[in-house]
Amino acid sequence: MEKLTIESTLNSPRIILDPASNQFEFSGESRPENVRNFYMPILEWLEAFAGECAGKGKGGGDQPLEFRFGFEYFNSTSAKYILDVFKILHNIQEAGTGIQVKWRYEEDDEDMFEVGQEMARMSGLEFEYVEVEVE
Amino acid sequence: MSESETLVDFEGAITFGTIEMLLNQLRSSRDFQEMNKPARKRLYSIFVESIDNIFKYGMPQTRNDRVEGNMPRISVSRKDEHYLIRAGNLVDNDLIGELKFKLDRVNQLDDEALKSLYEEVINRESDASETGAGLGLITMALRTDKDIEYSFTEVDNDHSYFEMEITLNG
Repeated sequence: MEKLTIESTLNSPRIILDPASNQFEFSGESRPENVRNFYMPILEWLEAFAGECAGKGKGGGDQPLEFRFGFEYFNSTSAKYILDVFKILHNIQEAGTGIQVKWRYEEDDEDMFEVGQEMARMSGLEFEYVEVEVE
Repeated sequence: MSESETLVDFEGAITFGTIEMLLNQLRSSRDFQEMNKPARKRLYSIFVESIDNIFKYGMPQTRNDRVEGNMPRISVSRKDEHYLIRAGNLVDNDLIGELKFKLDRVNQLDDEALKSLYEEVINRESDASETGAGLGLITMALRTDKDIEYSFTEVDNDHSYFEMEITLNG
């Protein structure tokens, strides 16, 4: 599948979805002007990717795909779409492709850590939590 | 002796471009920079959600004579160890019932119940603007231990000025 990359702006995150280099990343701030318009292409890409994974019947001995999330901040409207991302990842996993989610949060950012736990619980995925030192 | 400081104080039309300016003001204020990280992130979150709330419930800020003197307002101030976020905007009277219901609901719930409600609302497949506004208030309530105070002041038969005040421990 063609990779999808979106550079970050002041109010939207950096997104890398690149199966060829096995790099999947979401980072930065998410409060774009039109949240739906921003996230729809990402959700569509992931749905297509889910179909591709299912078609290959991947799994078994393969390395899990590592999805790294390192949000500094996201607003409540973005949260709905970010949860949708995790729901698709959960479906990919259910269909036999291993998914590993790394949820990075800044040192002492308890709220972001807690939001990660809620996202994991609501999507049915297991997250690995990584506390990142800043400055 | 009490000490108070204003971090942001804005009155006027709020466009998407205004938000960056307001966030820059907040980020560059000395108080904000000196806050500990959890409190700083909470303040940032409540500030963004308050502005989003003005967008969702506020009247269109042009083509309306009533807007005169009733422009949106947003401010952040510190009094001793507490931060106060105030947001105000003109709303259609038809929306008062819905807003009151949602505000009273989040004020009554403890954190565990707020998280359940958050899950219910985020999973509800309906109009994004409706769920978005609900989630915003729940998110704000989760970031503070205090009630969200609010008032509606009637402007005319169809419109009221809605104000909300959130207190955050620094």
